[in-house]
Amino acid sequence: MSIVFEKVSKAFGTKEVLRNVSFEVKKGEILFILGKSGMGKSVTLKHIVGVLKPDSGNVWVDQQNVTSLDSFQLTQIRRRCGMVFQHPALLDSLSVFDNVAFGLRTPQYQQTLPTPLTEKQIEEAVVSKLQLVHLGTDILKRFPQEISYGMQKRVSLARTLAPAPEYLLFDEPTTGLDPITTEAVNSLIKDLSHTLKVTSVVVSHDMACALKIADRVLVLDRGGILAHDSVAEIRRSKEPLIRDFLSETVSLEAQLGASQLINRGAS
Amino acid sequence: MITTSLLNLLHDFGSISLFFKKVFLTLLRTRGNLIPILNQIASISIRSLPTVAFAGVFVGAILVLQFNLILSAYDAQVFLGGLNTSAVVREVGPLIISFLLAGKIGAYTAAELGTMRVTEQIDAIECLGTDPIQYLVVPRMAGIVVSSAILLMLGLLISIAGSMAVAATACGVNPWEFTASIPQFTSISTVVSGMIKSMVYGIIVAGVACHQGYTATGGARGVGRAVTMAAIYTNFYIVIANYFTSGFLEFAEHWIQILGAQAGLGLGKAL
Repeated sequence: MSIVFEKVSKAFGTKEVLRNVSFEVKKGEILFILGKSGMGKSVTLKHIVGVLKPDSGNVWVDQQNVTSLDSFQLTQIRRRCGMVFQHPALLDSLSVFDNVAFGLRTPQYQQTLPTPLTEKQIEEAVVSKLQLVHLGTDILKRFPQEISYGMQKRVSLARTLAPAPEYLLFDEPTTGLDPITTEAVNSLIKDLSHTLKVTSVVVSHDMACALKIADRVLVLDRGGILAHDSVAEIRRSKEPLIRDFLSETVSLEAQLGASQLINRGAS
Repeated sequence: MITTSLLNLLHDFGSISLFFKKVFLTLLRTRGNLIPILNQIASISIRSLPTVAFAGVFVGAILVLQFNLILSAYDAQVFLGGLNTSAVVREVGPLIISFLLAGKIGAYTAAELGTMRVTEQIDAIECLGTDPIQYLVVPRMAGIVVSSAILLMLGLLISIAGSMAVAATACGVNPWEFTASIPQFTSISTVVSGMIKSMVYGIIVAGVACHQGYTATGGARGVGRAVTMAAIYTNFYIVIANYFTSGFLEFAEHWIQILGAQAGLGLGKAL
């Protein structure tokens, strides 16, 4: 039960985004994919659910080659992989409730259950998932454009969690969120991975977040893998790009520490 | 330069054809989802009816004034109603209404689907285990095609009524005179020909708009490009389709008349 990338290459026009990329994500692991913008992090994620197909190489999810599956088999894989997009990607024409319930109402999900879900059960599932992401029931009837961007991101996360996926793929999950919600989302990713054994792949350029929650970190740079190691090894890395990411984290932590000292002094 | 443009045009035509095939196969496989299709038909028809009605009245009025100039010179105003109705039903009505639909519904659909594509809504639908072609494209395409036929019928009726009013007020042709010559110039085959044309144009508007929106890339600029290309391609393909449908329908009408005459002759001999 794992995700395996086998010599995957992908180009858009003349720009080669991934070049012979190979790695494995083990069951229950949190893999953090780190890299500068435009280095193929989101592209890597979209290959796992077959939204993008590689130019060469294979992507395996539970020993099924995603690159050669037909649309029905691909739908089965996608049902087991929840993806949180960089943008909230909520359907504008549906209310918050209908957005979160979307995955629960699909025939593909209903077929996996012994009996189809009743509207009452769907409502309970929607409310519980919204609570998980610190949202109340007051926004259920609102439309995405009527709530803030941060709330939209959390609704998007609740929508992904609703059909209880085995794999969670996060594309910049904390971008645009306030520090408290960021912390809550990070804890949620860690809890889901450690308690429910959900395998998570998180794409971000937030090294601080990676150091907190990742089991392993994969650094992408110029189409290839610069490093694929445990958090402890990444901390010791001598690679200039990784040192840059680490120094950003140190300076952020220093700023945070200083502001906390100022706050304490003021109080 | 010209070769590249021509190749791009052919490439896009091929891409739209393949997309249309995919949508059609999805429609056959899933037999469509009736409620969203009916919603789309209602929404498109209601939203477009005022525009179509407004255009219909003026198209009819312009044609009446133009035909009246020529017919009055030959003292043949009795044919005004027939000539005007035939031109509206056969050619001008379907063409103008489909251009309007391309500008209104086509652009709206391309922008809507394009925005959904660039904000990853379509990817999200796919990742939640639902086929976006089935969920988003099939209802929109079926809705546009069916509503074009409905709008055309209503548009033509409004146009003829408008023509009649203008003929009575500006040309001195009373409604009885106007309607009397209609059967001489307009047969059932003329109406069927207009309907077939409007269905073909509806398919073009729906196919091109959905394809351009669905395949949009590159943020707001990409959506803008999709809308522009949808408008350009739709009008371009409609003009080309007009030539071929006119030729084909004239040919079909000619053969129907010959076969009808032969059948009548055979019947006469038998009697």
